[in-house]
Amino acid sequence: MKKTLFIAGLSVLVFGTAEAQQKKAQPKKEQPSTKQEDVMQVLNSGLSTDPRFAWKIQQDEAQRICSQYPSREVMPGQAIQKVIQLSQADIRYPQWGIFWGDWREGKKIVDNPRGGRFASYGFSDSPTDRGGNCYACHLIEKGLPGGTMGPNLYQYGKRWNITKENMNTPEALERVKIVYNIIYNSWSAFPCSSMPRFGHNGALSPEDVMNIVTFLLHPDSPVNK
Amino acid sequence: MKKKLFFSIFTAGALAGGLLSTKAIAQTEELSPEEEIRLVQEFNRMLAEGINPGEVWYEVGKDAIKKYNLDKCDLGLGPGVFKGAAAQLPRYFADAGKVMDLETRVGWCLQKHAGMTQDQVLKFVRQCWGKTGNCVSEYDGIIMYLTMESNGHKINVNLKDPRVKKMYDLGKQVYYARIGPWDFNCATCHAGKQEVRIRATRLWSADRPGEAGNAVAIFPKYLVRWGLPMTMHYRYAECIRQMRWPEFIPHSDLAVALSTYLYATGNGTEIKAPGIGR
Ligand code: HEC
Ligand code: HEC
Repeated sequence: MKKTLFIAGLSVLVFGTAEAQQKKAQPKKEQPSTKQEDVMQVLNSGLSTDPRFAWKIQQDEAQRICSQYPSREVMPGQAIQKVIQLSQADIRYPQWGIFWGDWREGKKIVDNPRGGRFASYGFSDSPTDRGGNCYACHLIEKGLPGGTMGPNLYQYGKRWNITKENMNTPEALERVKIVYNIIYNSWSAFPCSSMPRFGHNGALSPEDVMNIVTFLLHPDSPVNK
Repeated sequence: MKKKLFFSIFTAGALAGGLLSTKAIAQTEELSPEEEIRLVQEFNRMLAEGINPGEVWYEVGKDAIKKYNLDKCDLGLGPGVFKGAAAQLPRYFADAGKVMDLETRVGWCLQKHAGMTQDQVLKFVRQCWGKTGNCVSEYDGIIMYLTMESNGHKINVNLKDPRVKKMYDLGKQVYYARIGPWDFNCATCHAGKQEVRIRATRLWSADRPGEAGNAVAIFPKYLVRWGLPMTMHYRYAECIRQMRWPEFIPHSDLAVALSTYLYATGNGTEIKAPGIGR
Protein backbone atom coordinates (compact mmCIF):
# COMPACT_ATOMS: atom_id res chain seq x y z
CA MET A 1 0.00 0.00 0.00
CA LYS A 2 2.78 2.40 0.95
CA LYS A 3 4.29 1.56 -2.42
CA THR A 4 1.21 2.44 -4.47
CA LEU A 5 0.92 5.74 -2.69
CA PHE A 6 4.53 6.43 -3.29
CA ILE A 7 4.17 5.75 -6.97
CA ALA A 8 1.02 7.80 -7.17
CA GLY A 9 2.89 10.63 -5.50
CA LEU A 10 5.74 10.33 -7.93
CA SER A 11 3.51 10.27 -10.96
CA VAL A 12 2.23 13.60 -9.78
CA LEU A 13 5.73 14.89 -9.41
CA VAL A 14 6.80 13.68 -12.78
CA PHE A 15 3.71 14.25 -14.87
CA GLY A 16 2.09 17.03 -12.89
CA THR A 17 -1.33 15.42 -12.77
CA ALA A 18 -3.43 13.93 -10.06
CA GLU A 19 -5.89 12.07 -12.24
CA ALA A 20 -4.74 8.76 -10.89
CA GLN A 21 -5.78 9.71 -7.41
CA GLN A 22 -9.04 11.20 -8.38
CA LYS A 23 -10.33 7.84 -9.53
CA LYS A 24 -8.89 6.05 -6.55
CA ALA A 25 -10.58 7.60 -3.56
CA GLN A 26 -14.32 7.94 -3.30
CA PRO A 27 -15.10 11.39 -1.96
CA LYS A 28 -16.16 11.00 1.64
CA LYS A 29 -18.11 13.79 3.20
CA GLU A 30 -16.02 15.92 5.47
CA GLN A 31 -18.19 16.21 8.52
CA PRO A 32 -16.76 18.13 11.42
CA SER A 33 -19.32 17.97 14.21
CA THR A 34 -18.06 21.22 15.65
CA LYS A 35 -17.02 24.46 14.06
CA GLN A 36 -13.41 24.97 13.08
CA GLU A 37 -13.23 28.20 15.10
CA ASP A 38 -14.29 26.31 18.23
CA VAL A 39 -11.51 23.81 17.71
CA MET A 40 -8.93 26.56 17.26
CA GLN A 41 -10.28 28.27 20.36
CA VAL A 42 -9.81 25.13 22.42
CA LEU A 43 -6.28 24.75 21.06
CA ASN A 44 -5.46 28.33 21.90
CA SER A 45 -6.79 27.91 25.43
CA GLY A 46 -4.14 25.35 26.20
CA LEU A 47 -1.02 26.61 24.45
CA SER A 48 1.39 29.24 25.66
CA THR A 49 0.86 32.74 24.32
CA ASP A 50 4.58 33.51 24.50
CA PRO A 51 4.94 35.85 21.50
CA ARG A 52 8.10 34.06 20.37
CA PHE A 53 6.05 30.97 19.58
CA ALA A 54 2.66 32.39 18.66
CA TRP A 55 3.33 31.82 14.94
CA LYS A 56 3.35 28.10 15.57
CA ILE A 57 -0.43 28.02 15.99
CA GLN A 58 -1.25 29.64 12.67
CA GLN A 59 -2.81 26.81 10.72
CA ASP A 60 -2.04 27.00 7.00
CA GLU A 61 -4.37 25.91 4.22
CA ALA A 62 -2.76 22.52 3.63
CA GLN A 63 -2.86 21.74 7.35
CA ARG A 64 -6.50 22.77 7.43
CA ILE A 65 -7.34 20.32 4.66
CA CYS A 66 -5.35 17.48 6.19
CA SER A 67 -7.01 18.03 9.59
CA GLN A 68 -10.38 17.10 8.12
CA TYR A 69 -9.55 13.49 7.35
CA PRO A 70 -8.39 10.74 9.65
CA SER A 71 -6.10 9.40 6.91
CA ARG A 72 -5.09 9.91 3.30
CA GLU A 73 -6.98 6.77 2.29
CA VAL A 74 -10.33 8.49 2.85
CA MET A 75 -9.41 11.83 1.29
CA PRO A 76 -11.31 12.80 -1.85
CA GLY A 77 -9.17 13.28 -4.96
CA GLN A 78 -9.79 17.00 -5.04
CA ALA A 79 -8.45 17.52 -1.54
CA ILE A 80 -5.40 15.41 -2.34
CA GLN A 81 -4.77 17.42 -5.47
CA LYS A 82 -5.09 20.72 -3.62
CA VAL A 83 -2.55 19.68 -0.98
CA ILE A 84 -0.09 18.52 -3.64
CA GLN A 85 -0.56 21.73 -5.59
CA LEU A 86 0.02 23.95 -2.55
CA SER A 87 3.03 21.91 -1.53
CA GLN A 88 4.71 21.86 -4.92
CA ALA A 89 4.30 25.59 -5.32
CA ASP A 90 6.09 26.05 -2.02
CA ILE A 91 9.39 24.30 -2.76
CA ARG A 92 12.52 26.48 -2.76
CA TYR A 93 15.95 25.32 -3.92
CA PRO A 94 19.46 26.28 -2.82
CA GLN A 95 20.90 29.34 -4.51
CA TRP A 96 23.00 27.15 -6.84
CA GLY A 97 20.21 24.75 -7.67
CA ILE A 98 20.52 21.00 -7.20
CA PHE A 99 24.04 19.80 -6.44
CA TRP A 100 25.81 17.16 -4.37
CA GLY A 101 26.28 18.43 -0.83
CA ASP A 102 28.23 17.07 2.13
CA TRP A 103 26.86 13.78 3.45
CA ARG A 104 28.68 14.19 6.77
CA GLU A 105 26.85 17.44 7.42
CA GLY A 106 23.63 15.74 6.34
CA LYS A 107 24.18 12.89 8.76
CA LYS A 108 24.56 15.32 11.65
CA ILE A 109 21.16 16.85 10.97
CA VAL A 110 19.55 13.47 10.39
CA ASP A 111 20.87 12.24 13.74
CA ASN A 112 20.02 15.25 15.85
CA PRO A 113 16.83 14.60 17.84
CA ARG A 114 16.58 18.20 18.90
CA GLY A 115 15.30 21.10 16.93
CA GLY A 116 12.14 23.10 17.45
CA ARG A 117 11.36 21.24 20.65
CA PHE A 118 11.21 23.80 23.40
CA ALA A 119 9.55 24.15 26.77
CA SER A 120 10.39 26.54 29.57
CA TYR A 121 10.51 23.72 32.12
CA GLY A 122 13.68 21.74 32.61
CA PHE A 123 14.91 20.45 29.30
CA SER A 124 18.07 21.60 27.65
CA ASP A 125 16.70 21.99 24.13
CA SER A 126 17.15 25.42 22.74
CA PRO A 127 14.91 27.03 20.14
CA THR A 128 17.83 27.31 17.74
CA ASP A 129 18.76 23.60 17.65
CA ARG A 130 18.55 22.18 14.13
CA GLY A 131 17.73 18.54 13.61
CA GLY A 132 15.43 16.27 11.62
CA ASN A 133 15.28 13.38 14.11
CA CYS A 134 14.77 11.18 11.07
CA TYR A 135 15.60 7.88 12.79
CA ALA A 136 12.64 8.36 15.14
CA CYS A 137 10.54 7.26 12.16
CA HIS A 138 13.03 5.58 9.80
CA LEU A 139 15.61 2.84 9.81
CA ILE A 140 18.47 4.47 7.92
CA GLU A 141 21.85 2.85 8.43
CA LYS A 142 22.49 -0.83 8.85
CA GLY A 143 22.82 -1.76 12.49
CA LEU A 144 21.50 1.53 13.87
CA PRO A 145 18.12 1.60 15.63
CA GLY A 146 15.23 3.43 14.04
CA GLY A 147 11.46 3.73 14.09
CA THR A 148 8.94 2.06 11.82
CA MET A 149 6.49 4.87 11.21
CA GLY A 150 8.17 5.66 7.89
CA PRO A 151 9.69 3.28 5.34
CA ASN A 152 13.15 1.76 5.75
CA LEU A 153 15.70 4.01 4.02
CA TYR A 154 18.61 1.61 4.13
CA GLN A 155 20.49 1.66 0.79
CA TYR A 156 18.15 4.35 -0.42
CA GLY A 157 20.62 5.58 -3.07
CA LYS A 158 20.83 2.12 -4.59
CA ARG A 159 17.06 2.04 -4.79
CA TRP A 160 17.23 5.17 -6.92
CA ASN A 161 19.97 3.55 -8.97
CA ILE A 162 22.56 6.21 -8.18
CA THR A 163 26.10 5.02 -8.86
CA LYS A 164 29.56 6.60 -8.92
CA GLU A 165 29.41 6.44 -12.72
CA ASN A 166 26.01 8.05 -13.30
CA MET A 167 25.72 10.38 -10.33
CA ASN A 168 26.42 13.57 -12.26
CA THR A 169 24.24 12.84 -15.29
CA PRO A 170 21.14 15.00 -15.76
CA GLU A 171 18.96 11.93 -15.25
CA ALA A 172 20.52 11.17 -11.87
CA LEU A 173 20.30 14.81 -10.78
CA GLU A 174 16.62 14.74 -11.73
CA ARG A 175 16.15 11.86 -9.27
CA VAL A 176 18.14 13.77 -6.65
CA LYS A 177 15.66 16.59 -7.13
CA ILE A 178 12.69 14.29 -6.55
CA VAL A 179 14.15 13.20 -3.22
CA TYR A 180 14.96 16.83 -2.39
CA ASN A 181 11.29 17.66 -2.95
CA ILE A 182 10.19 14.84 -0.64
CA ILE A 183 12.32 16.07 2.22
CA TYR A 184 11.78 19.78 1.65
CA ASN A 185 8.01 19.32 1.51
CA SER A 186 6.89 15.73 2.00
CA TRP A 187 3.30 16.64 1.21
CA SER A 188 4.27 17.43 -2.40
CA ALA A 189 4.64 13.68 -2.91
CA PHE A 190 2.73 12.18 0.04
CA PRO A 191 -0.11 14.58 0.81
CA CYS A 192 -0.85 14.85 4.55
CA SER A 193 1.93 12.39 5.41
CA SER A 194 2.98 12.17 9.04
CA MET A 195 6.42 13.23 7.84
CA PRO A 196 6.94 16.93 8.67
CA ARG A 197 7.42 19.43 5.85
CA PHE A 198 10.89 20.33 7.00
CA GLY A 199 11.71 22.97 4.41
CA HIS A 200 8.27 24.48 4.17
CA ASN A 201 8.17 25.15 7.89
CA GLY A 202 11.70 26.50 8.01
CA ALA A 203 12.89 23.76 10.35
CA LEU A 204 15.63 23.04 7.80
CA SER A 205 17.20 25.31 5.18
CA PRO A 206 17.53 24.37 1.49
CA GLU A 207 21.26 23.71 2.10
CA ASP A 208 20.43 21.43 5.06
CA VAL A 209 18.03 19.49 2.86
CA MET A 210 20.62 19.22 0.10
CA ASN A 211 23.13 17.74 2.57
CA ILE A 212 20.54 15.28 3.88
CA VAL A 213 19.69 14.16 0.34
CA THR A 214 23.41 13.64 -0.24
CA PHE A 215 23.59 11.53 2.92
CA LEU A 216 20.71 9.36 1.68
CA LEU A 217 21.81 9.00 -1.95
CA HIS A 218 25.59 9.42 -2.29
CA PRO A 219 27.45 6.21 -3.15
CA ASP A 220 30.06 7.00 -0.46
CA SER A 221 27.51 7.53 2.30
CA PRO A 222 27.19 4.82 4.99
CA VAL A 223 23.51 4.58 4.04
CA ASN A 224 24.53 2.90 0.79
CA LYS A 225 27.24 0.62 2.16
CA MET B 1 -0.36 -3.88 46.95
CA LYS B 2 -0.80 -1.99 50.22
CA LYS B 3 2.31 -3.69 51.55
CA LYS B 4 4.40 -1.52 49.29
CA LEU B 5 3.13 1.62 50.91
CA PHE B 6 5.65 1.34 53.70
CA PHE B 7 8.15 3.01 51.43
CA SER B 8 8.91 6.40 52.77
CA ILE B 9 9.45 9.45 50.65
CA PHE B 10 13.08 9.05 51.45
CA THR B 11 13.07 5.59 49.97
CA ALA B 12 11.58 7.05 46.82
CA GLY B 13 14.24 9.68 46.72
CA ALA B 14 16.95 7.15 47.38
CA LEU B 15 15.58 4.81 44.75
CA ALA B 16 15.52 7.54 42.21
CA GLY B 17 18.74 9.02 43.47
CA GLY B 18 20.51 5.71 43.15
CA LEU B 19 19.43 5.35 39.57
CA LEU B 20 20.91 8.13 37.61
CA SER B 21 23.30 9.88 39.94
CA THR B 22 20.33 12.12 39.99
CA LYS B 23 20.23 15.84 39.72
CA ALA B 24 16.99 17.60 40.39
CA ILE B 25 17.84 19.94 37.59
CA ALA B 26 17.29 20.35 33.91
CA GLN B 27 17.38 17.01 32.17
CA THR B 28 18.73 16.00 28.85
CA GLU B 29 16.93 13.08 27.33
CA GLU B 30 19.93 11.51 25.74
CA LEU B 31 21.29 9.05 28.28
CA SER B 32 24.71 7.46 28.07
CA PRO B 33 24.69 3.73 27.15
CA GLU B 34 25.75 2.79 30.71
CA GLU B 35 22.88 4.78 32.15
CA GLU B 36 20.46 3.14 29.69
CA ILE B 37 21.59 -0.32 30.74
CA ARG B 38 21.36 0.50 34.43
CA LEU B 39 17.92 1.93 33.86
CA VAL B 40 16.63 -1.17 32.09
CA GLN B 41 18.04 -3.40 34.83
CA GLU B 42 16.45 -1.28 37.53
CA PHE B 43 13.12 -1.27 35.68
CA ASN B 44 13.19 -5.04 35.23
CA ARG B 45 14.01 -5.54 38.90
CA MET B 46 11.06 -3.38 39.96
CA LEU B 47 8.73 -5.27 37.64
CA ALA B 48 9.98 -8.64 38.87
CA GLU B 49 9.59 -7.69 42.52
CA GLY B 50 6.27 -5.97 41.99
CA ILE B 51 7.63 -2.71 43.34
CA ASN B 52 6.09 0.52 42.17
CA PRO B 53 7.65 3.54 43.89
CA GLY B 54 4.77 5.62 42.52
CA GLU B 55 2.63 4.31 45.38
CA VAL B 56 4.65 6.41 47.81
CA TRP B 57 2.86 9.43 46.42
CA TYR B 58 -0.45 8.04 47.71
CA GLU B 59 0.66 8.85 51.26
CA VAL B 60 1.99 12.24 50.19
CA GLY B 61 -1.40 12.96 48.68
CA LYS B 62 -3.35 11.81 51.71
CA ASP B 63 -1.56 14.38 53.88
CA ALA B 64 -1.77 17.10 51.24
CA ILE B 65 -5.53 16.65 50.94
CA LYS B 66 -5.91 17.54 54.61
CA LYS B 67 -3.39 20.33 54.40
CA TYR B 68 -5.16 22.02 51.46
CA ASN B 69 -8.74 21.46 52.68
CA LEU B 70 -9.49 19.21 49.76
CA ASP B 71 -11.77 17.05 51.89
CA LYS B 72 -14.28 19.74 50.91
CA CYS B 73 -13.61 19.11 47.23
CA ASP B 74 -16.52 17.65 45.26
CA LEU B 75 -15.45 15.44 42.38
CA GLY B 76 -19.06 14.84 41.42
CA LEU B 77 -20.17 12.35 44.06
CA GLY B 78 -20.29 14.88 46.93
CA PRO B 79 -17.68 16.76 49.00
CA GLY B 80 -14.91 14.46 50.15
CA VAL B 81 -16.42 11.38 48.47
CA PHE B 82 -13.47 10.01 46.55
CA LYS B 83 -14.04 6.26 46.16
CA GLY B 84 -14.74 5.69 42.48
CA ALA B 85 -15.03 9.43 41.84
CA ALA B 86 -12.10 9.68 39.40
CA ALA B 87 -13.64 6.92 37.26
CA GLN B 88 -16.63 9.07 36.28
CA LEU B 89 -14.53 12.03 35.19
CA PRO B 90 -14.53 14.17 33.10
CA ARG B 91 -18.06 15.37 33.88
CA TYR B 92 -20.04 18.59 33.94
CA PHE B 93 -19.89 20.64 37.16
CA ALA B 94 -22.75 23.06 37.74
CA ASP B 95 -20.83 25.10 40.34
CA ALA B 96 -18.10 25.86 37.79
CA GLY B 97 -20.39 25.81 34.76
CA LYS B 98 -17.87 23.66 32.92
CA VAL B 99 -16.86 20.15 32.02
CA MET B 100 -13.72 19.27 33.98
CA ASP B 101 -11.34 16.34 34.22
CA LEU B 102 -9.74 15.22 37.46
CA GLU B 103 -6.74 17.53 37.38
CA THR B 104 -8.69 20.58 36.27
CA ARG B 105 -11.23 19.95 39.04
CA VAL B 106 -8.48 19.65 41.64
CA GLY B 107 -7.10 22.97 40.42
CA TRP B 108 -10.54 24.52 40.81
CA CYS B 109 -10.80 23.12 44.35
CA LEU B 110 -7.36 24.44 45.24
CA GLN B 111 -8.57 27.91 44.30
CA LYS B 112 -11.87 27.45 46.11
CA HIS B 113 -10.77 25.69 49.30
CA ALA B 114 -7.07 26.44 49.65
CA GLY B 115 -7.21 30.07 48.58
CA MET B 116 -4.70 29.68 45.78
CA THR B 117 -4.73 31.95 42.75
CA GLN B 118 -4.73 30.43 39.30
CA ASP B 119 -1.05 31.27 38.89
CA GLN B 120 -0.21 29.64 42.20
CA VAL B 121 -2.09 26.54 41.13
CA LEU B 122 -0.15 26.34 37.86
CA LYS B 123 3.14 26.68 39.73
CA PHE B 124 2.02 23.97 42.15
CA VAL B 125 1.16 21.68 39.23
CA ARG B 126 4.47 22.16 37.43
CA GLN B 127 6.69 22.02 40.48
CA CYS B 128 8.54 18.88 39.36
CA TRP B 129 8.20 19.22 35.60
CA GLY B 130 11.48 18.76 33.81
CA LYS B 131 13.11 17.48 37.02
CA THR B 132 14.50 14.10 37.80
CA GLY B 133 14.70 12.47 41.21
CA ASN B 134 14.40 13.95 44.68
CA CYS B 135 11.45 16.04 43.61
CA VAL B 136 8.27 15.19 45.45
CA SER B 137 5.29 17.24 44.44
CA GLU B 138 2.23 17.43 46.68
CA TYR B 139 0.15 17.98 43.57
CA ASP B 140 1.35 14.70 42.07
CA GLY B 141 0.51 13.14 45.44
CA ILE B 142 -3.02 14.52 45.42
CA ILE B 143 -3.67 13.25 41.89
CA MET B 144 -2.14 9.89 42.78
CA TYR B 145 -4.28 9.56 45.90
CA LEU B 146 -7.51 10.53 44.17
CA THR B 147 -6.86 8.22 41.23
CA MET B 148 -5.87 5.26 43.39
CA GLU B 149 -9.13 5.68 45.31
CA SER B 150 -10.75 4.59 42.02
CA ASN B 151 -8.55 1.56 41.44
CA GLY B 152 -10.70 -1.35 40.36
CA HIS B 153 -13.49 0.95 39.17
CA LYS B 154 -14.26 1.07 35.47
CA ILE B 155 -13.93 4.31 33.53
CA ASN B 156 -17.42 5.59 32.95
CA VAL B 157 -17.63 8.96 31.18
CA ASN B 158 -21.23 10.00 30.63
CA LEU B 159 -21.51 10.82 26.95
CA LYS B 160 -25.30 11.09 27.28
CA ASP B 161 -24.75 14.50 28.83
CA PRO B 162 -24.68 16.82 25.78
CA ARG B 163 -22.12 19.12 27.46
CA VAL B 164 -19.76 16.20 27.93
CA LYS B 165 -20.47 15.01 24.39
CA LYS B 166 -19.57 18.45 23.05
CA MET B 167 -16.21 18.32 24.83
CA TYR B 168 -15.70 14.82 23.44
CA ASP B 169 -16.35 16.04 19.89
CA LEU B 170 -13.99 18.97 20.36
CA GLY B 171 -11.34 16.66 21.79
CA LYS B 172 -11.67 14.34 18.85
CA GLN B 173 -11.19 17.19 16.41
CA VAL B 174 -8.23 18.53 18.33
CA TYR B 175 -6.80 15.01 18.13
CA TYR B 176 -6.78 15.32 14.34
CA ALA B 177 -5.79 19.01 14.06
CA ARG B 178 -2.52 19.37 12.17
CA ILE B 179 -0.73 22.42 13.46
CA GLY B 180 2.72 23.66 14.29
CA PRO B 181 6.05 23.79 12.52
CA TRP B 182 6.30 19.98 12.34
CA ASP B 183 2.72 19.40 11.14
CA PHE B 184 1.89 16.92 13.90
CA ASN B 185 -1.44 15.94 15.34
CA CYS B 186 -2.04 13.38 18.08
CA ALA B 187 -3.07 10.91 15.41
CA THR B 188 0.40 11.07 13.84
CA CYS B 189 1.61 8.89 16.68
CA HIS B 190 -1.55 7.48 18.26
CA ALA B 191 -3.84 6.31 15.44
CA GLY B 192 -3.95 3.65 12.76
CA LYS B 193 -4.46 -0.09 12.71
CA GLN B 194 -0.83 -0.89 12.06
CA GLU B 195 1.53 -0.99 15.01
CA VAL B 196 4.47 1.41 14.71
CA ARG B 197 7.48 2.34 16.77
CA ILE B 198 9.08 5.70 17.29
CA ARG B 199 12.70 4.76 17.72
CA ALA B 200 12.38 1.85 20.12
CA THR B 201 9.07 2.89 21.72
CA ARG B 202 5.91 1.13 20.66
CA LEU B 203 3.05 3.62 20.29
CA TRP B 204 -0.56 3.02 21.38
CA SER B 205 -3.35 3.78 18.95
CA ALA B 206 -6.86 5.13 19.40
CA ASP B 207 -7.89 2.92 16.46
CA ARG B 208 -6.92 -0.37 18.06
CA PRO B 209 -9.58 -1.59 20.52
CA GLY B 210 -8.73 -1.17 24.18
CA GLU B 211 -5.48 0.71 23.71
CA ALA B 212 -6.70 4.22 24.56
CA GLY B 213 -8.30 2.86 27.74
CA ASN B 214 -5.16 1.00 28.72
CA ALA B 215 -3.07 4.11 28.08
CA VAL B 216 -5.07 6.41 30.35
CA ALA B 217 -6.16 3.94 33.05
CA ILE B 218 -2.63 3.63 34.44
CA PHE B 219 -2.04 7.34 35.00
CA PRO B 220 -0.35 8.76 37.00
CA LYS B 221 2.44 6.54 35.71
CA TYR B 222 5.74 6.19 37.55
CA LEU B 223 8.72 6.81 35.27
CA VAL B 224 11.83 5.03 36.42
CA ARG B 225 14.14 7.30 34.42
CA TRP B 226 12.84 10.42 36.09
CA GLY B 227 12.12 8.94 39.50
CA LEU B 228 8.68 10.47 39.71
CA PRO B 229 5.10 9.88 38.66
CA MET B 230 3.80 11.62 35.59
CA THR B 231 0.23 12.88 35.70
CA MET B 232 -1.95 12.94 32.60
CA HIS B 233 -1.46 16.68 32.08
CA TYR B 234 2.30 16.30 32.28
CA ARG B 235 2.03 13.55 29.64
CA TYR B 236 0.04 15.91 27.39
CA ALA B 237 2.70 18.57 27.92
CA GLU B 238 5.46 16.17 26.95
CA CYS B 239 3.70 14.92 23.82
CA ILE B 240 2.98 18.51 22.86
CA ARG B 241 6.63 19.41 23.38
CA GLN B 242 7.55 16.54 21.04
CA MET B 243 5.04 17.96 18.58
CA ARG B 244 6.86 21.32 18.61
CA TRP B 245 3.66 23.11 19.53
CA PRO B 246 3.88 26.06 21.93
CA GLU B 247 4.09 24.98 25.55
CA PHE B 248 1.03 23.25 27.01
CA ILE B 249 -1.01 24.90 29.77
CA PRO B 250 -2.42 22.44 32.32
CA HIS B 251 -6.07 22.68 33.45
CA SER B 252 -7.02 24.35 30.17
CA ASP B 253 -10.02 23.53 28.01
CA LEU B 254 -7.52 21.84 25.70
CA ALA B 255 -6.59 19.44 28.49
CA VAL B 256 -10.25 18.78 29.31
CA ALA B 257 -11.14 18.20 25.65
CA LEU B 258 -8.31 15.69 25.23
CA SER B 259 -9.20 13.91 28.47
CA THR B 260 -12.87 13.74 27.56
CA TYR B 261 -12.05 12.17 24.21
CA LEU B 262 -9.46 9.73 25.57
CA TYR B 263 -11.22 8.63 28.77
CA ALA B 264 -14.59 8.25 27.04
CA THR B 265 -12.89 6.18 24.34
CA GLY B 266 -11.55 4.09 27.22
CA ASN B 267 -14.96 3.65 28.89
CA GLY B 268 -15.15 0.26 30.59
CA THR B 269 -11.42 -0.01 31.29
CA GLU B 270 -10.51 -0.69 34.91
CA ILE B 271 -8.38 1.97 36.60
CA LYS B 272 -5.01 0.60 37.72
CA ALA B 273 -2.84 3.41 39.04
CA PRO B 274 0.03 3.89 39.26
CA GLY B 275 1.39 2.42 36.08
CA ILE B 276 5.10 2.05 35.70
CA GLY B 277 7.40 2.61 32.76
CA ARG B 278 11.00 3.25 31.96
C1 HEC C 1 7.08 11.71 12.10
C2 HEC C 1 7.60 10.74 11.21
C3 HEC C 1 8.71 11.05 10.23
C4 HEC C 1 9.85 11.79 10.37
C5 HEC C 1 10.34 12.57 11.61
C6 HEC C 1 10.55 11.69 9.12
N1 HEC C 1 9.85 10.92 8.25
FE1 HEC C 1 10.42 10.45 6.33
N2 HEC C 1 8.64 9.48 6.06
C7 HEC C 1 7.69 9.28 7.02
C8 HEC C 1 6.58 8.55 6.43
C9 HEC C 1 5.32 8.10 7.17
C10 HEC C 1 6.91 8.35 5.08
C11 HEC C 1 6.07 7.63 4.02
C12 HEC C 1 5.33 8.64 3.21
C13 HEC C 1 3.85 8.47 3.31
O1 HEC C 1 3.34 7.45 2.86
O2 HEC C 1 3.19 9.35 3.89
C14 HEC C 1 8.22 8.94 4.87
C15 HEC C 1 8.91 8.92 3.65
C16 HEC C 1 10.19 9.35 3.48
C17 HEC C 1 10.96 9.22 2.25
C18 HEC C 1 10.47 8.58 0.96
C19 HEC C 1 10.66 7.09 1.10
C20 HEC C 1 10.44 6.31 -0.16
O3 HEC C 1 9.79 5.27 -0.09
O4 HEC C 1 10.97 6.71 -1.22
C21 HEC C 1 12.20 9.76 2.49
C22 HEC C 1 13.37 9.84 1.53
C23 HEC C 1 12.20 10.23 3.87
N3 HEC C 1 10.98 9.96 4.44
C24 HEC C 1 13.28 10.84 4.49
C25 HEC C 1 13.22 11.44 5.75
C26 HEC C 1 14.29 12.27 6.30
C27 HEC C 1 15.61 12.54 5.64
C28 HEC C 1 13.84 12.72 7.52
C29 HEC C 1 14.48 13.68 8.49
C30 HEC C 1 15.01 14.91 7.99
C31 HEC C 1 12.52 12.13 7.74
N4 HEC C 1 12.20 11.38 6.64
C32 HEC C 1 11.77 12.31 8.89
C33 HEC C 1 7.73 9.68 8.33
C34 HEC C 1 8.72 10.51 8.88
C1 HEC D 1 5.77 12.55 17.89
C2 HEC D 1 5.01 11.47 18.45
C3 HEC D 1 3.85 11.75 19.38
C4 HEC D 1 2.79 12.61 19.22
C5 HEC D 1 2.49 13.48 18.02
C6 HEC D 1 1.94 12.45 20.39
N1 HEC D 1 2.49 11.52 21.23
FE1 HEC D 1 1.61 10.77 22.92
N2 HEC D 1 3.22 9.54 23.20
C7 HEC D 1 4.35 9.50 22.41
C8 HEC D 1 5.34 8.65 23.02
C9 HEC D 1 6.73 8.33 22.47
C10 HEC D 1 4.76 8.18 24.24
C11 HEC D 1 5.41 7.28 25.30
C12 HEC D 1 4.92 5.90 25.15
C13 HEC D 1 5.53 5.00 26.23
O1 HEC D 1 6.32 5.48 27.03
O2 HEC D 1 5.13 3.83 26.25
C14 HEC D 1 3.42 8.76 24.31
C15 HEC D 1 2.52 8.50 25.33
C16 HEC D 1 1.25 9.03 25.41
C17 HEC D 1 0.28 8.68 26.43
C18 HEC D 1 0.51 7.71 27.59
C19 HEC D 1 0.60 6.29 27.18
C20 HEC D 1 1.40 5.47 28.16
O3 HEC D 1 1.11 4.29 28.30
O4 HEC D 1 2.34 5.97 28.77
C21 HEC D 1 -0.85 9.42 26.18
C22 HEC D 1 -2.15 9.39 26.95
C23 HEC D 1 -0.57 10.24 25.01
N3 HEC D 1 0.70 9.96 24.57
C24 HEC D 1 -1.44 11.16 24.46
C25 HEC D 1 -1.12 12.00 23.39
C26 HEC D 1 -1.96 13.09 22.95
C27 HEC D 1 -3.29 13.48 23.56
C28 HEC D 1 -1.32 13.68 21.90
C29 HEC D 1 -1.70 14.91 21.13
C30 HEC D 1 -1.93 16.12 21.85
C31 HEC D 1 -0.10 12.93 21.66
N4 HEC D 1 -0.01 11.94 22.60
C32 HEC D 1 0.78 13.16 20.62
C33 HEC D 1 4.51 10.13 21.19
C34 HEC D 1 3.65 11.08 20.66
